[in-house]
Amino acid sequence: MAHMLEERGLPTTVLALVLPQVEKTRPPRAVATPFMLGRPVGEPGDAAFQLRVLKRALLLLERKDGPVILEHFPDDPPGMYDRPGWLPAVKIPEPVSPRDAAAWAAALRAEMALVQPAWDRFKARFGRTTVGLSDQPPDVWPDFAASFLDGALPSLPLHHTPAVALRFAADDVKALYGEAAQADGGPPSPHQIDEWFWCRTVAGRFLIALRSVALASPNATMKVVGARFLVPRQYVPS
Amino acid sequence: MARLEDIPEATRIAAAELPCPSFDTTPFVAGPKLAKRRVAIISSAGLLRRGARPFVKPLHDGEGECRAVPSTWNARDILLSHASVNFDRTGFQRDMNVVFPIDRLRDLAAAGEIGSVAETHFTFIPVADPTPAGIADEMAAALHSDRVDGVILVPI
Repeated sequence: MAHMLEERGLPTTVLALVLPQVEKTRPPRAVATPFMLGRPVGEPGDAAFQLRVLKRALLLLERKDGPVILEHFPDDPPGMYDRPGWLPAVKIPEPVSPRDAAAWAAALRAEMALVQPAWDRFKARFGRTTVGLSDQPPDVWPDFAASFLDGALPSLPLHHTPAVALRFAADDVKALYGEAAQADGGPPSPHQIDEWFWCRTVAGRFLIALRSVALASPNATMKVVGARFLVPRQYVPS
Repeated sequence: MARLEDIPEATRIAAAELPCPSFDTTPFVAGPKLAKRRVAIISSAGLLRRGARPFVKPLHDGEGECRAVPSTWNARDILLSHASVNFDRTGFQRDMNVVFPIDRLRDLAAAGEIGSVAETHFTFIPVADPTPAGIADEMAAALHSDRVDGVILVPI
């Protein structure tokens, strides 16, 4: 896209997260960064760090030694490392693995009730939530998701297909828990949040169970959602 | 680079070996000092306003879409619908600017380090192929109309 915009008279600069890709595409100007995928400007909540990153990329616009300039940002963002002693802001019991759809819905509903206060604190602290892709309130999610376990294909008003509705309901579950985990104290690493969610919550286990059902579905779009959009690869049971 | 050694193997291989477009030309457009430039952000995070339908199709062979992100949107209303489940979302949960650094551009403008912030930015979800020419034409026309002379691309 940088190349095509530059061809159309627009000076561009790129923050590049994957060095092999930027070396292949050779945009006019780019800064290769050591940040994790999903955090292209480096460190959430650290304006000074973000400004350093942006200035490094934007100042390339003044350079005259093109047509391909590639620099490297040298510093790791502090939040990529596990925070010693971090505990999630939510205390929940060891998760169970229910045996049927109704039990899964009940277990998720009960766990979400425990998570809710922390989520409320997150929203008060940060002034926003990223929950909303399903366009449904949280109390809808347990029964909606559980019905897929029974072979149903329910839909939601905003989305074209049941599979897409499931995908974005799952995204909302992950967002709610991710926010709740960060409600208090200093930021954990993404790894710490993931380990907690996928290994120690009913919600994580529920999505893993939904993945299996989606992969086995005769519905082609459900198979795609199950394979690609529900569970990160490192948390798929072997 | 994103530390490939820290990325799970399957994602690492996919990221490093993703087929990427190549081009016969190397355009390079000059401009004024940064302090005079009007800057826009282009994000591959599939940003949307709360209540809108999330992105589903990436830009590819005429399908998919690129949407405008007005500077006037409130941070509370901006959601992210990037496709990959293997990318971190917790940073965006905590601070939108780690993906869409609009407040940082405002800081730079207030400090006189850039000229101004564009009225409209753009977002899409990515694909390996080159951007469809029609999308690039429309985006370029809108950016020129807004007098933008500096674009920062922020792939997620």
